[in-house]
Amino acid sequence: MKRIGWLWLVVSSALLASLAAETRPQYGGTLHVAMRTAVSSLDPADTGGVDSFARRSLMRLMFDTLVTMDESGRVQGWLATSWQASGPQRLQLRLRRGITFHDGNALTAEAVAASLRSANPSWNISVDSDSVTIEHDNSDSLLLAELALARNAIEKKMSDGKPSGTGPFQIAEWQPGKKLTLTTAESCWRGRPFLDAIEIEMGKNYRDQMLALESGKAEFIEVAAEQFHRVSVDGREIASSAPMELTALLFSREATSPDDKALREALAYSVERNSIRSVLLQGAGQPAGSLLPNWMTGYAFTFSAEADLNRARHAHAQTRSNPTWTLAYDPNDTVARLLAERIALNARDAGVTLQPSTNATADLRLVRIPLASANPSLALTALASATGLSVAKTKSDSVEALYASEQALLATRQIVPLFHLPASYAASARVKGWTVNRDGSWSLADAWLENRQP
Amino acid sequence: MIFRRKLLAVFALTVFLSVGGVATLVLIMTRRAFEQNEEQRTAALVAQFQREFTRQGDDIARRVGEIAASDAVSRMASAVAGPTPDLAGYFDAAKSLAESRQLDFLDLVDAHGTIISSFQSPAKFGYPESGFENLSAAAEQRAFLAQEESTDSTALGLFAVRATRGFEHPVYAIGGRRLDSTFLSTLDLPADMRALLYHNHGDRFSREWLIGPQAGNSPDAHPADRFEPLVDAVRKSNQEMTFKISWSSDQADDELFRAIPLRGLGKERPLLGILLIGASQRSYVELKRHIRASALLVGGGGIVLAILLSSWAAARVTRPVEQLARAAQEVANGNWDTRVEVPGYDEVSQLADSFNRMTSELLSHRERLVQAERVAAWRELARRLAHELKNPLFPLQLTVENLVRAREQSPEQFDEVFGESARTLLAEISNLKSIIGRFSEFSKMPQPQLQALQLNETIANVAQLFHAQLQAPGRPPIECRLELDPQLPLVDADPELLHKAISNLVLNAMDAMPLGGTLTLRSRREDGHAVVEVGDTGTGLTREERERIFTPYYTSKQHGTGLGLAIVQSVVSDHKGRISVQSESGRGTTFMIELPSSVRDARLGN
Repeated sequence: MKRIGWLWLVVSSALLASLAAETRPQYGGTLHVAMRTAVSSLDPADTGGVDSFARRSLMRLMFDTLVTMDESGRVQGWLATSWQASGPQRLQLRLRRGITFHDGNALTAEAVAASLRSANPSWNISVDSDSVTIEHDNSDSLLLAELALARNAIEKKMSDGKPSGTGPFQIAEWQPGKKLTLTTAESCWRGRPFLDAIEIEMGKNYRDQMLALESGKAEFIEVAAEQFHRVSVDGREIASSAPMELTALLFSREATSPDDKALREALAYSVERNSIRSVLLQGAGQPAGSLLPNWMTGYAFTFSAEADLNRARHAHAQTRSNPTWTLAYDPNDTVARLLAERIALNARDAGVTLQPSTNATADLRLVRIPLASANPSLALTALASATGLSVAKTKSDSVEALYASEQALLATRQIVPLFHLPASYAASARVKGWTVNRDGSWSLADAWLENRQP
Repeated sequence: MIFRRKLLAVFALTVFLSVGGVATLVLIMTRRAFEQNEEQRTAALVAQFQREFTRQGDDIARRVGEIAASDAVSRMASAVAGPTPDLAGYFDAAKSLAESRQLDFLDLVDAHGTIISSFQSPAKFGYPESGFENLSAAAEQRAFLAQEESTDSTALGLFAVRATRGFEHPVYAIGGRRLDSTFLSTLDLPADMRALLYHNHGDRFSREWLIGPQAGNSPDAHPADRFEPLVDAVRKSNQEMTFKISWSSDQADDELFRAIPLRGLGKERPLLGILLIGASQRSYVELKRHIRASALLVGGGGIVLAILLSSWAAARVTRPVEQLARAAQEVANGNWDTRVEVPGYDEVSQLADSFNRMTSELLSHRERLVQAERVAAWRELARRLAHELKNPLFPLQLTVENLVRAREQSPEQFDEVFGESARTLLAEISNLKSIIGRFSEFSKMPQPQLQALQLNETIANVAQLFHAQLQAPGRPPIECRLELDPQLPLVDADPELLHKAISNLVLNAMDAMPLGGTLTLRSRREDGHAVVEVGDTGTGLTREERERIFTPYYTSKQHGTGLGLAIVQSVVSDHKGRISVQSESGRGTTFMIELPSSVRDARLGN
């Protein structure tokens, strides 16, 4: 009996040891990532007018921001250790010491100021020995949220023109829009990452990414929102962000007449968001009657996302004209075509004629806009900026002011919100320690590869 | 046109018409044969299309049946039958099912006709399926033609409906294939035929709905708008029609299209499409051209051969006629002893024989005539001699008788009478000598000594010679008018003889104008000849006088010998000329001498 007990103890110890070895982070290895977005520039400030979760993710691998936002939306120090108001609309941020760029140069206040000026030419920035002071016309909280954006990551141009950051990885090979190879930054102030390198293939559609994951050519991929449930059923490592992407219909021009407004209203009421979500999006995301998601504002439920065909027809009945609008969608986005066709069908029921098209010049477009920040005020401002809409500037960060701003934007009838979708990612079972940030970007700084073969 | 050419033309025309007629007949027969062939080929193609339509329809029905019986659709039917059916997970089921069965269209609908999943229009989930009044009845039918509409396009397809079995509320699979260029490519067409399909969509013809066997909708390089009249006609009549389309000015590019309406299901059986079967006219047109070219070649060759044979035949036929014509010409020229050959016994030979006999008769008559004229001439000569000699002989006789009487009766006056009678005798003897001399002169007309002569000079000399006589006192004056052509050609003539001839004519003119008048001496050029006219304004000649005026010894004058004009005619004849007279009684007479121009003058180009 004793002998059996010892034997049981030895076997149990061995099993526990092996389990511990599997869950313990391991250094080394190259992680292969596939992504849909073809990033053309690695300069954080050079967004080219297009924001994406992929770009945010890449920036966070190579660069750091002065502050960051935690899961609850609170601002945390990152390259800056502390900040304080040095006057009205004047914020002084004290830098962390002992940090070097990938090229070995120290992170100085001047370098930080230069980087911020490059991303925000309108800002008035002054430097101190170990701090930078920013004069602004927003609230401090809004400024801090903005400093947490990836586009405000601190970078320094190296002699060969490549950007150098302070993040855990540095650029080894860069083929704009095609491939990026990152290697470990040994001297990262956050400590050496577990991975030796990350190879990122760009411009791969969701299907190709899935095939790459299944064939072992990629260990980490993006997953279309509507595929999330299906992929999760297949038992892969999968995660989603909060709904951070707005899918909406964006008119190319303002409503010019009461008829025009009524037709847009009819269109907005005609869309069967719930049906589309449950079928085409396979339950992913949330139907949206507002621009910002409810988790961000808390009031989004007050904007109805239900289809109301009677109201839609009533609105259409008020009009005397019945133009045929062209609805443009991204031809590379398979679900976008289905969405456009379904919306056209719904609109036809209300009497509005929509012609889906892949032509760039159309009366309205089906757009997907990543919300810039978890901060609702900043997200709304950035959304308005990205869509070309004008939003009244308020000094207040209050929910009432935000609600008023959003309602004013919707009242223009230039944008019809449809859905808020999360960003979803899948990884092979070998990849451990990866996370999805609240803003939809992924983080591989702490990821590691398990040695076992899939 | 001469007889031989006429004969030739008739022969050639006959051959040409014969060849043309045969070629036309062959063309008509060829066209009929082609039309029958086209009818047969088109009918075969239509039958082939219908077989292919049926075969594909059966194949589609089989595939749709397999889908309806598949586990996936059965699970769907089970889910539909559940208390709270969640069909969202099935919305893209149609895609994989359609792709696995190579279908272009597939809708999965519940028993109420609501679309659960659609391959061609995935966004249509939840919408009612249109176009079917009774799905369960349609599920029992064979494949049918239908129109499939999506948000941005409309297509024509061959469809079948099948239902899941064993469920109270079945799921219906409505699947089909597009009737497009691929379908048309499956038709086994002859090389010069093609099939097009017009999808009857909208109120007006549109080229985008015309489907050809090539990839894409464009039937070919030809403009699709040319089909509009045919399509419109079929749409209006809803019946089969035939139409020829000319793609270019070249008839070989023409195509003959037969349009067959394709109808859908339902009570009204709507016109969904039009099958256009085209047959190229190239082979027919090329054959027609070949026949025409052959006809032209054979016709041309035949005409050439006909011309050669006709020439030979015409020559053979016309040669005796031509000989006869030539002989007749010779006879007309005075060669009355001309003979023609009498080769055979046909009509032409008889004609030649008759001709020979006719010329023999003519010759005989002429000799008799000449002989008679000679006798007449001698008689006239004798009469004239008797007359001429009788006149001086009578005074001679009287004078001698007077001398004899004077000798016998009045010897004292004999010398005186003798002297007077001697003078009278001498005068009459001289007169006799003169008469004999003129006859002698006429018989001794010398041969002309030809030389290039300017007639105008001769005429002027004659006028000068007679000037004094014309204006002689004691006789009525005669005005002499000279009208000489300075362009008068030279003539080869004897100046003295010609001077004498013209002088004789002038003397005659003067005799014709005893009461005076106008003497006109005129020269002119006519057809390369020199013409001299001597005209008077005298009493003129009677018709008998005009006919006999050149006969020797004929005269209308009291004391004429009748040799003057005979001498003139002799001179003119010796100069290869011709003399004629124009006269009207009471108006005067004009003699015209026509002489050939000198050889030298002809060489000089005058």
